[in-house]
Amino acid sequence: MTLKLLSFFFFLLSFILHSQNNNIEDKLFSAIFEKSKKNHSNDDFKKASIFFIQKNWDSTLIFTQKTLKKSPKEKSIKNLSFFYRGVSLFRQQVYHEAENQFGLISNDFEFINKVQVYLGAINLKLKKYEKAISYYQKLTKLPNKESLYLNEAILFDDLALCYFFLGNYNEAESYFKKSNVYEKDTLNLIDSYINIANLYYQQYKDNIAIPYFKKAYNLSKKINVDKKKFSEKDRKIYYRKSVATKNMAVVEENQKNLKKALLYRKEYEKYIDTLNNRNRIYEVAQKEKEFAVATKQKEVDFLQVQNELKETQRNNFIYIASILLVLLLISGYFYREKVKTNHIIAAQKETLNELNATKDKLFSIVSHDLRSSVNALKSSNAVLVDNLQSKNLEALENLLQKNSSIVNGAYGLLDNLLNWALLQTDQGYFHIDTLRLFIIIEHVAYNYKPLLFEKELTFENSVSKKAMIAADQESLKIVLRNLLDNAIKFSKPHGALKVYVEESDDFWNLIVEDTGLGMSEETRLELLKDTALLNKKEHEDVLGTGLGLSLVKSMIRKNNGKFNIESELGKGTKMIVSLKKVSLSS
Amino acid sequence: MDKINVLIIEDTVTESTRLIKLLEENNYNVVGVAQSFQEALNLFYSKKVDILIIDIFLNGVPEGITFAETITTVPEAAKPFVFLTSSKDRQIFERAKLTKPFSFLLKPFNELEVLYAIEMAIEKFYEQTDVFITDEEDTVISNDNLFIKKGKSLKKVLLSDIIYIEVEEKYCNIITEKEKFVILISLTKILKLLDPNNFCRTHRNYIVNLNKIEEIVPSDNLIQLQGKHHVTLSERYKDLIKKVRTLK
Repeated sequence: MTLKLLSFFFFLLSFILHSQNNNIEDKLFSAIFEKSKKNHSNDDFKKASIFFIQKNWDSTLIFTQKTLKKSPKEKSIKNLSFFYRGVSLFRQQVYHEAENQFGLISNDFEFINKVQVYLGAINLKLKKYEKAISYYQKLTKLPNKESLYLNEAILFDDLALCYFFLGNYNEAESYFKKSNVYEKDTLNLIDSYINIANLYYQQYKDNIAIPYFKKAYNLSKKINVDKKKFSEKDRKIYYRKSVATKNMAVVEENQKNLKKALLYRKEYEKYIDTLNNRNRIYEVAQKEKEFAVATKQKEVDFLQVQNELKETQRNNFIYIASILLVLLLISGYFYREKVKTNHIIAAQKETLNELNATKDKLFSIVSHDLRSSVNALKSSNAVLVDNLQSKNLEALENLLQKNSSIVNGAYGLLDNLLNWALLQTDQGYFHIDTLRLFIIIEHVAYNYKPLLFEKELTFENSVSKKAMIAADQESLKIVLRNLLDNAIKFSKPHGALKVYVEESDDFWNLIVEDTGLGMSEETRLELLKDTALLNKKEHEDVLGTGLGLSLVKSMIRKNNGKFNIESELGKGTKMIVSLKKVSLSS
Repeated sequence: MDKINVLIIEDTVTESTRLIKLLEENNYNVVGVAQSFQEALNLFYSKKVDILIIDIFLNGVPEGITFAETITTVPEAAKPFVFLTSSKDRQIFERAKLTKPFSFLLKPFNELEVLYAIEMAIEKFYEQTDVFITDEEDTVISNDNLFIKKGKSLKKVLLSDIIYIEVEEKYCNIITEKEKFVILISLTKILKLLDPNNFCRTHRNYIVNLNKIEEIVPSDNLIQLQGKHHVTLSERYKDLIKKVRTLK
């Protein structure tokens, strides 16, 4: 029976230490950890601290060893390392070694009191009760125990236990009572009652002990346990219940009250069974819970994956749809553009075809003209050679004159062709300047002197020397050349050619007047038309491509001028060119 | 009065021959014909040239423009010039236009056009436009010469040859050592254009070349000039005496 009780005490002892560890030590550890973090940059020590707070004792031991091997200079690192080692070894139940490690800590260590608590606990474990008592006694004298992470109640309990084991029951009793002063929860209360009861029972003070046992038993009975949720706490409760009941059974047995003892025994066994069952159930429940959690987790994962998959699919669908939409819009836009362009192209093609046809026609007429000119020259040359052989020198001069006029005509045609091409491609130099109309007319007319003489035409340039106009010199010369050319071409021999100006608001109207064939109103309007390039031959003996007049109109337009024709069939023609006036500055 | 010296830069012989004939018929003096850029440079710097006629294309490349650009880089040595071209190509013209003053002659050209182009080039170069065409004036004044229109063509007179100028209304009598002739130019213009260090007014009607003064007789209001000419010195222009370098 005594043995049973002793073993029971041992159990309680460890329980007490355990409670001390759980409640206050966590606070202590975190305080130490904070301290270690602040002060040191030592890697090994940091790791040791982390493992320590995680209660990974083996790793803590390894890293503290590493730290200490490097023999760090800071005292605090050394002390803390020894402290870590001591605590770790104590937890590994290597008590002797733990005691050694604690012994290495210097006296100025911040948590030296706590070291003493551990040393006390070690000695208690090693059954060196006197030594343990000396440690504990020192601690009880310290003020302000809460701030030093000390639980006085537990301290007293431990002291009581020491005395109890030494058989000093009086001291033990006083310390138990002291410890009872502190507030305790029901479980601790039961523990205390049991301890006290055991104390008295050991001294054979049965009448004092038995009420305590009963108190403990009743208290343990009162605690109800929720059967479905089975936690660590419940397990502790059942344990108390079983111990209290077992104690009652032992008490009753000693009093030879065997029936009651048997009932308690049975109850005790029931508790033990429940405890075991509970343990198993707890384990099973735990497993089930884990399994359920795992399954749930799996399901959740699966659903999550499914959701993700769905989301990706949906997103893909949206992307594809939007891309398609954009493509559709773009293609639609381009299609419209294309239709538009096609329209433009079709219209352009039509105009181009028209222009090309006109050009072809022009080419055929020009080449026809040139061909006839060259042919005339050819036959004339043949006659020239004949006359040269027969030494008919008089005829030679006439023929040469004729040849020269043919060449002049062809040259004019070619010149117009070149200028027309330059105008169309806009490659020619064009620069509007202030020009003196009189001089330009003189220059152009100078080339026609032989022709005028040949046709016996009189020419009069009565343009005012003050007539200043804004025009491009070369294009104006082309205009004048063509007008004079036409005037001479359509003049009858002994006719008169006159060039003069009339002043209007913004223009100088240059008039080239001949007393030639004239033209019908129809021809006149036809000639003034913008597009009229090729007009019918009105006069059988005089060829005309219309290129000259077309050039004249274009050039005048380019010089910001106006063009008009006045004519009377059979009497003559007035070609009127209106050019921008420039007022004389001087 | 002297003939005007023309330098022709033209690689086509028929063209240059025609041009020479035309110019000489109109009393111009052709000092040379260059057929390449280098030749043109040599002639330009070795001969006394009054005006140049430059073909834009020499041997197929527009070296004529390069030549014009070269001679205009030194403003003191620059002379009036006329571009000669058969092409109306805009790009060539745009480049040629950058050489100022720009005047050009398009082939085929007739006599009137050539003479007109030369006159225009001289007018533009000396910045005295509308001179030769009008009836009011007929003389352009450069730093060294008077360019005077005589009939269809131009003549020149060295300013340093002039002894004095007598103004009569719109006319000016120019008296040189050898001859005496009349030009059409306004008095204000001639006073503005003549170098005041060499020419000075002595009377309402007289402008005198200071280098030709032989003697000033203030008591008689008379100036004795070279070639036994003498002009009146009026009270108003007596300051002139200060300008003349006198022995002391």
